[in-house]
Amino acid sequence: MVEQEQKETKPQTQPSFEQRSGLRELFELFSLTGFVYGPLDERLDIRDALEKNLKKPVPHHVNWLFCFGGISLFLFVVQGVTGIMLLMYYRPTVAEAYKSVVFITNNVPFGWLVRGLHHWAANLMIIMVFLHMARVFFYGAYKPPRDFNWVTGVILLTLTLGFGFTGYLLPWSQISYWATTVGTEVPAAVPFIGGFLSTLIRGGQAVGQSTLTRFFAVHVVILPLVISFFLLGHFFMIRKQGISGPL
Amino acid sequence: MSAKLEKDWREEGEPFFPNHMLDQGMVVFVTLAILVTLVMFFPAPMEPPADPFETPEHIKPEWYFLSAYQALKVAEYFSFLGAWAPKALGILMQAVGILALILLPFLDKNPERHPRKRPVVIGIGILALILLAALTIWGKLS
Repeated sequence: MVEQEQKETKPQTQPSFEQRSGLRELFELFSLTGFVYGPLDERLDIRDALEKNLKKPVPHHVNWLFCFGGISLFLFVVQGVTGIMLLMYYRPTVAEAYKSVVFITNNVPFGWLVRGLHHWAANLMIIMVFLHMARVFFYGAYKPPRDFNWVTGVILLTLTLGFGFTGYLLPWSQISYWATTVGTEVPAAVPFIGGFLSTLIRGGQAVGQSTLTRFFAVHVVILPLVISFFLLGHFFMIRKQGISGPL
Repeated sequence: MSAKLEKDWREEGEPFFPNHMLDQGMVVFVTLAILVTLVMFFPAPMEPPADPFETPEHIKPEWYFLSAYQALKVAEYFSFLGAWAPKALGILMQAVGILALILLPFLDKNPERHPRKRPVVIGIGILALILLAALTIWGKLS
Protein backbone atom coordinates (compact mmCIF):
# COMPACT_ATOMS: atom_id res chain seq x y z
CA MET A 1 0.00 0.00 0.00
CA VAL A 2 2.64 2.45 1.07
CA GLU A 3 4.89 1.44 -1.80
CA GLN A 4 2.10 2.08 -4.29
CA GLU A 5 1.55 5.60 -3.02
CA GLN A 6 5.24 6.34 -3.26
CA LYS A 7 5.28 5.07 -6.85
CA GLU A 8 2.41 7.32 -7.77
CA THR A 9 3.98 10.44 -6.28
CA LYS A 10 7.39 9.89 -7.90
CA PRO A 11 8.22 12.62 -10.41
CA GLN A 12 7.90 11.56 -14.02
CA THR A 13 10.81 13.64 -15.28
CA GLN A 14 14.21 12.02 -15.67
CA PRO A 15 16.42 12.63 -12.66
CA SER A 16 19.71 14.34 -13.42
CA PHE A 17 22.95 12.42 -13.46
CA GLU A 18 23.95 13.75 -10.09
CA GLN A 19 20.66 12.70 -8.51
CA ARG A 20 20.74 9.28 -10.13
CA SER A 21 24.24 8.38 -9.10
CA GLY A 22 24.05 9.89 -5.66
CA LEU A 23 27.45 11.45 -6.32
CA ARG A 24 26.42 14.65 -4.67
CA GLU A 25 25.16 12.77 -1.63
CA LEU A 26 28.34 10.74 -1.50
CA PHE A 27 30.43 13.90 -1.75
CA GLU A 28 28.45 15.57 0.99
CA LEU A 29 28.78 12.49 3.15
CA PHE A 30 32.54 12.83 3.16
CA SER A 31 32.66 16.62 3.39
CA LEU A 32 32.09 18.85 6.34
CA THR A 33 28.68 19.83 4.96
CA GLY A 34 27.59 16.20 5.29
CA PHE A 35 27.71 16.68 9.02
CA VAL A 36 26.06 20.06 9.22
CA TYR A 37 23.63 20.19 6.25
CA GLY A 38 23.91 16.95 4.27
CA PRO A 39 22.77 13.36 4.61
CA LEU A 40 24.60 12.71 7.86
CA ASP A 41 22.82 15.63 9.50
CA GLU A 42 19.44 14.40 8.24
CA ARG A 43 20.05 11.10 9.96
CA LEU A 44 21.82 12.25 13.12
CA ASP A 45 20.59 15.82 13.79
CA ILE A 46 24.18 16.95 14.29
CA ARG A 47 23.38 20.61 13.54
CA ASP A 48 20.75 20.73 16.26
CA ALA A 49 23.11 19.15 18.76
CA LEU A 50 25.92 21.54 17.79
CA GLU A 51 23.68 24.60 18.01
CA LYS A 52 22.29 23.54 21.36
CA ASN A 53 25.76 23.05 22.79
CA LEU A 54 27.37 26.11 21.25
CA LYS A 55 24.53 28.40 22.30
CA LYS A 56 24.47 27.16 25.89
CA PRO A 57 25.00 30.34 27.94
CA VAL A 58 27.92 30.57 30.36
CA PRO A 59 26.68 32.19 33.61
CA HIS A 60 27.89 35.71 34.42
CA HIS A 61 29.44 34.74 37.76
CA VAL A 62 31.99 32.49 36.04
CA ASN A 63 35.37 34.16 36.60
CA TRP A 64 39.01 33.19 36.00
CA LEU A 65 39.01 30.91 39.06
CA PHE A 66 36.81 28.53 37.07
CA CYS A 67 39.51 27.85 34.47
CA PHE A 68 41.68 25.34 36.37
CA GLY A 69 39.58 22.31 35.45
CA GLY A 70 39.73 23.22 31.77
CA ILE A 71 43.51 23.77 31.98
CA SER A 72 43.84 20.35 33.63
CA LEU A 73 41.99 18.80 30.69
CA PHE A 74 44.17 20.68 28.21
CA LEU A 75 47.32 19.47 29.99
CA PHE A 76 45.91 15.93 29.96
CA VAL A 77 45.56 16.20 26.17
CA VAL A 78 49.15 17.51 25.97
CA GLN A 79 50.23 14.48 28.02
CA GLY A 80 48.35 12.15 25.68
CA VAL A 81 49.88 13.62 22.53
CA THR A 82 53.46 13.94 23.82
CA GLY A 83 53.16 10.55 25.55
CA ILE A 84 52.25 8.82 22.28
CA MET A 85 55.17 10.60 20.59
CA LEU A 86 57.58 9.39 23.29
CA LEU A 87 56.19 5.86 22.87
CA MET A 88 57.56 5.82 19.32
CA TYR A 89 61.14 5.80 20.66
CA TYR A 90 60.98 4.67 24.29
CA ARG A 91 62.02 1.04 25.04
CA PRO A 92 60.74 -0.35 28.36
CA THR A 93 63.63 -2.64 29.29
CA VAL A 94 66.19 -2.34 32.05
CA ALA A 95 69.01 -2.40 29.50
CA GLU A 96 67.50 0.07 27.02
CA ALA A 97 65.12 2.39 28.85
CA TYR A 98 67.72 4.93 29.95
CA LYS A 99 69.53 4.84 26.60
CA SER A 100 66.29 5.39 24.72
CA VAL A 101 65.46 8.42 26.88
CA VAL A 102 68.94 9.86 26.21
CA PHE A 103 68.41 9.15 22.51
CA ILE A 104 65.03 10.92 22.57
CA THR A 105 66.59 13.93 24.30
CA ASN A 106 69.74 14.24 22.17
CA ASN A 107 69.08 12.66 18.77
CA VAL A 108 65.39 12.58 17.91
CA PRO A 109 64.33 15.83 16.16
CA PHE A 110 62.53 17.96 18.76
CA GLY A 111 62.72 15.00 21.14
CA TRP A 112 63.98 17.35 23.87
CA LEU A 113 60.88 19.50 23.34
CA VAL A 114 58.43 16.57 23.46
CA ARG A 115 60.08 15.06 26.54
CA GLY A 116 60.28 18.46 28.22
CA LEU A 117 56.62 19.14 27.50
CA HIS A 118 55.68 15.75 28.97
CA HIS A 119 57.79 16.50 32.06
CA TRP A 120 56.46 20.01 32.67
CA ALA A 121 52.84 19.34 31.71
CA ALA A 122 52.85 16.52 34.29
CA ASN A 123 53.98 18.89 37.04
CA LEU A 124 51.65 21.69 35.95
CA MET A 125 48.75 19.25 35.68
CA ILE A 126 49.10 18.25 39.33
CA ILE A 127 49.16 21.92 40.37
CA MET A 128 46.09 22.66 38.23
CA VAL A 129 44.16 19.64 39.54
CA PHE A 130 44.92 20.83 43.08
CA LEU A 131 43.83 24.39 42.32
CA HIS A 132 40.66 23.10 40.66
CA MET A 133 39.87 21.07 43.77
CA ALA A 134 40.59 24.04 46.04
CA ARG A 135 38.24 26.25 43.99
CA VAL A 136 35.44 23.67 44.16
CA PHE A 137 36.05 23.32 47.90
CA PHE A 138 35.98 27.02 48.75
CA TYR A 139 32.98 27.69 46.48
CA GLY A 140 31.07 24.84 48.15
CA ALA A 141 30.47 23.44 44.67
CA TYR A 142 30.82 19.86 45.92
CA LYS A 143 27.44 19.98 47.66
CA PRO A 144 24.40 18.10 46.35
CA PRO A 145 23.49 17.62 43.55
CA ARG A 146 27.18 17.72 42.58
CA ASP A 147 28.36 15.46 45.41
CA PHE A 148 29.00 12.46 43.18
CA ASN A 149 30.96 14.62 40.78
CA TRP A 150 33.26 15.52 43.69
CA VAL A 151 33.81 11.78 44.25
CA THR A 152 34.82 11.26 40.61
CA GLY A 153 37.05 14.32 40.99
CA VAL A 154 38.94 12.82 43.96
CA ILE A 155 39.31 9.57 41.98
CA LEU A 156 40.72 11.61 39.07
CA LEU A 157 43.20 13.25 41.48
CA THR A 158 44.44 9.85 42.71
CA LEU A 159 44.67 8.59 39.11
CA THR A 160 46.72 11.69 38.21
CA LEU A 161 49.06 10.96 41.12
CA GLY A 162 49.21 7.35 39.88
CA PHE A 163 50.36 8.62 36.49
CA GLY A 164 53.07 10.60 38.25
CA PHE A 165 54.22 7.65 40.35
CA THR A 166 54.37 5.13 37.48
CA GLY A 167 55.83 7.59 34.97
CA TYR A 168 58.64 8.56 37.31
CA LEU A 169 60.22 5.08 37.07
CA LEU A 170 60.19 4.83 33.28
CA PRO A 171 63.47 6.74 32.52
CA TRP A 172 65.20 4.14 34.74
CA SER A 173 67.53 6.73 36.18
CA GLN A 174 69.19 6.53 39.59
CA ILE A 175 66.61 8.83 41.19
CA SER A 176 63.62 7.12 39.59
CA TYR A 177 64.90 3.65 40.55
CA TRP A 178 65.50 4.53 44.20
CA ALA A 179 62.40 6.70 44.62
CA THR A 180 60.36 3.76 43.34
CA THR A 181 62.20 1.37 45.65
CA VAL A 182 61.28 3.55 48.64
CA GLY A 183 57.75 4.22 47.33
CA THR A 184 56.90 0.57 46.75
CA GLU A 185 58.16 -0.29 50.25
CA VAL A 186 55.38 1.79 51.78
CA PRO A 187 52.48 -0.63 51.06
CA ALA A 188 54.53 -3.42 52.72
CA ALA A 189 53.57 -1.91 56.08
CA VAL A 190 49.84 -2.51 55.54
CA PRO A 191 48.79 -5.14 58.09
CA PHE A 192 48.36 -8.73 56.85
CA ILE A 193 48.38 -8.10 53.09
CA GLY A 194 51.31 -5.68 53.00
CA GLY A 195 53.90 -8.16 51.75
CA PHE A 196 51.56 -9.36 49.04
CA LEU A 197 50.76 -5.78 47.95
CA SER A 198 54.41 -4.81 47.69
CA THR A 199 55.24 -7.94 45.66
CA LEU A 200 52.23 -7.36 43.44
CA ILE A 201 53.29 -3.80 42.65
CA ARG A 202 56.95 -4.71 42.10
CA GLY A 203 56.30 -7.99 40.30
CA GLY A 204 58.97 -9.56 42.53
CA GLN A 205 61.04 -9.04 45.64
CA ALA A 206 62.98 -6.03 44.36
CA VAL A 207 62.44 -3.30 41.77
CA GLY A 208 63.57 -4.80 38.46
CA GLN A 209 62.49 -5.61 34.93
CA SER A 210 59.04 -6.86 36.07
CA THR A 211 58.47 -3.58 37.91
CA LEU A 212 59.44 -1.57 34.85
CA THR A 213 57.15 -3.66 32.60
CA ARG A 214 54.30 -3.34 35.07
CA PHE A 215 54.68 0.39 35.57
CA PHE A 216 54.96 0.87 31.81
CA ALA A 217 51.74 -1.10 31.17
CA VAL A 218 49.93 0.78 33.93
CA HIS A 219 51.23 4.17 32.75
CA VAL A 220 50.46 3.83 29.03
CA VAL A 221 47.45 1.49 28.88
CA ILE A 222 45.60 0.88 32.12
CA LEU A 223 45.62 4.36 33.63
CA PRO A 224 44.70 6.15 30.36
CA LEU A 225 41.73 3.83 29.90
CA VAL A 226 40.54 4.19 33.48
CA ILE A 227 41.04 7.96 33.60
CA SER A 228 39.16 8.43 30.29
CA PHE A 229 36.20 6.60 31.78
CA PHE A 230 36.15 8.81 34.88
CA LEU A 231 36.81 11.97 32.84
CA LEU A 232 33.75 11.23 30.69
CA GLY A 233 31.67 10.72 33.83
CA HIS A 234 33.05 13.95 35.32
CA PHE A 235 32.15 15.97 32.19
CA PHE A 236 28.74 14.40 31.58
CA MET A 237 27.74 15.13 35.16
CA ILE A 238 28.82 18.80 35.08
CA ARG A 239 27.16 19.20 31.67
CA LYS A 240 23.91 17.74 32.97
CA GLN A 241 23.92 19.61 36.28
CA GLY A 242 25.48 22.84 35.05
CA ILE A 243 28.13 25.00 36.70
CA SER A 244 27.33 25.73 40.35
CA GLY A 245 25.40 28.94 40.90
CA PRO A 246 26.73 32.24 42.29
CA LEU A 247 27.67 32.34 45.97
CA MET B 1 12.54 32.41 18.56
CA SER B 2 15.99 33.85 18.01
CA ALA B 3 15.03 37.11 19.70
CA LYS B 4 13.87 35.16 22.72
CA LEU B 5 17.08 33.16 22.75
CA GLU B 6 19.18 36.32 22.64
CA LYS B 7 17.25 37.78 25.52
CA ASP B 8 17.83 34.57 27.48
CA TRP B 9 21.55 34.90 26.85
CA ARG B 10 21.74 38.34 28.30
CA GLU B 11 19.89 37.19 31.38
CA GLU B 12 21.62 33.84 31.85
CA GLY B 13 25.13 34.67 30.77
CA GLU B 14 27.36 35.14 27.76
CA PRO B 15 27.14 32.70 24.86
CA PHE B 16 29.57 29.80 24.94
CA PHE B 17 30.35 30.36 21.28
CA PRO B 18 32.13 32.54 20.39
CA ASN B 19 32.61 34.64 23.55
CA HIS B 20 33.53 32.00 26.08
CA MET B 21 35.38 29.86 23.55
CA LEU B 22 37.63 32.84 22.76
CA ASP B 23 38.48 33.21 26.46
CA GLN B 24 39.23 29.51 26.66
CA GLY B 25 41.38 29.68 23.55
CA MET B 26 43.44 32.46 25.13
CA VAL B 27 43.89 30.45 28.33
CA VAL B 28 45.03 27.43 26.27
CA PHE B 29 47.61 29.49 24.35
CA VAL B 30 48.92 31.16 27.51
CA THR B 31 49.28 27.70 29.13
CA LEU B 32 51.11 26.42 26.06
CA ALA B 33 53.39 29.48 26.10
CA ILE B 34 54.23 28.93 29.78
CA LEU B 35 54.91 25.24 29.07
CA VAL B 36 57.25 25.90 26.15
CA THR B 37 59.06 28.64 28.12
CA LEU B 38 59.60 26.23 31.01
CA VAL B 39 60.90 23.54 28.64
CA MET B 40 63.33 25.99 27.01
CA PHE B 41 64.81 27.42 30.19
CA PHE B 42 64.46 24.42 32.53
CA PRO B 43 64.84 21.27 30.40
CA ALA B 44 63.66 17.93 31.79
CA PRO B 45 66.46 16.70 34.08
CA MET B 46 68.72 13.88 32.91
CA GLU B 47 69.83 12.00 36.03
CA PRO B 48 72.54 9.31 36.03
CA PRO B 49 71.33 5.83 35.03
CA ALA B 50 69.88 3.46 37.66
CA ASP B 51 72.41 1.45 39.66
CA PRO B 52 70.78 -1.10 42.00
CA PHE B 53 74.12 -1.62 43.79
CA GLU B 54 74.70 1.98 44.78
CA THR B 55 72.16 3.60 47.10
CA PRO B 56 72.23 7.40 46.87
CA GLU B 57 72.49 9.33 50.13
CA HIS B 58 69.26 11.27 49.87
CA ILE B 59 66.29 9.57 48.26
CA LYS B 60 63.32 11.84 47.92
CA PRO B 61 60.14 11.46 45.90
CA GLU B 62 58.70 14.01 43.47
CA TRP B 63 57.50 17.22 45.10
CA TYR B 64 53.85 16.15 45.04
CA PHE B 65 54.64 13.07 47.12
CA LEU B 66 56.88 14.96 49.58
CA SER B 67 54.04 15.60 52.04
CA ALA B 68 53.10 11.91 52.11
CA TYR B 69 56.78 11.00 52.48
CA GLN B 70 57.30 13.45 55.34
CA ALA B 71 54.09 12.26 57.03
CA LEU B 72 55.51 8.73 57.06
CA LYS B 73 58.70 10.09 58.62
CA VAL B 74 56.72 12.00 61.25
CA ALA B 75 54.87 8.78 62.07
CA GLU B 76 58.18 7.37 63.29
CA TYR B 77 57.58 9.25 66.54
CA PHE B 78 55.02 6.52 67.27
CA SER B 79 57.77 3.88 67.41
CA PHE B 80 57.28 3.65 71.21
CA LEU B 81 54.11 1.66 70.45
CA GLY B 82 56.17 -1.08 68.83
CA ALA B 83 58.09 -1.76 65.66
CA TRP B 84 54.90 -2.15 63.60
CA ALA B 85 53.42 1.19 64.62
CA PRO B 86 55.17 3.93 62.61
CA LYS B 87 54.56 2.73 59.08
CA ALA B 88 51.13 1.20 59.71
CA LEU B 89 49.93 4.37 61.46
CA GLY B 90 51.45 6.56 58.75
CA ILE B 91 49.60 4.66 56.05
CA LEU B 92 46.40 4.62 58.09
CA MET B 93 46.62 8.40 58.50
CA GLN B 94 46.88 8.91 54.74
CA ALA B 95 44.13 6.40 53.97
CA VAL B 96 41.84 8.24 56.40
CA GLY B 97 42.79 11.54 54.76
CA ILE B 98 41.87 10.33 51.27
CA LEU B 99 38.68 8.69 52.56
CA ALA B 100 37.67 11.94 54.26
CA LEU B 101 38.32 13.79 51.00
CA ILE B 102 36.11 11.38 49.05
CA LEU B 103 33.35 11.49 51.65
CA LEU B 104 33.52 15.29 52.13
CA PRO B 105 30.13 16.02 50.47
CA PHE B 106 28.45 13.40 52.64
CA LEU B 107 30.15 14.46 55.89
CA ASP B 108 29.53 18.19 55.34
CA LYS B 109 25.73 18.46 55.55
CA ASN B 110 25.65 22.26 55.79
CA PRO B 111 23.62 23.47 52.78
CA GLU B 112 25.24 26.96 52.85
CA ARG B 113 27.75 27.64 50.08
CA HIS B 114 29.31 30.99 50.98
CA PRO B 115 32.65 30.46 52.77
CA ARG B 116 31.71 32.92 55.54
CA LYS B 117 28.63 30.87 56.38
CA ARG B 118 30.51 27.59 56.92
CA PRO B 119 33.46 28.51 59.13
CA VAL B 120 34.11 24.98 60.47
CA VAL B 121 34.62 23.23 57.14
CA ILE B 122 36.57 26.15 55.66
CA GLY B 123 38.72 26.25 58.80
CA ILE B 124 39.49 22.53 58.57
CA GLY B 125 40.24 22.94 54.85
CA ILE B 126 42.68 25.82 55.43
CA LEU B 127 44.35 23.86 58.27
CA ALA B 128 44.70 20.84 55.96
CA LEU B 129 46.24 23.05 53.25
CA ILE B 130 48.70 24.58 55.74
CA LEU B 131 49.60 21.08 57.01
CA LEU B 132 50.13 19.87 53.44
CA ALA B 133 52.32 22.87 52.59
CA ALA B 134 54.28 22.57 55.87
CA LEU B 135 54.94 18.85 55.35
CA THR B 136 56.02 19.49 51.75
CA ILE B 137 58.48 22.25 52.77
CA TRP B 138 59.70 20.18 55.72
CA GLY B 139 60.20 17.18 53.43
CA LYS B 140 62.09 19.37 50.97
CA LEU B 141 64.41 20.83 53.61
CA SER B 142 65.01 17.70 55.68
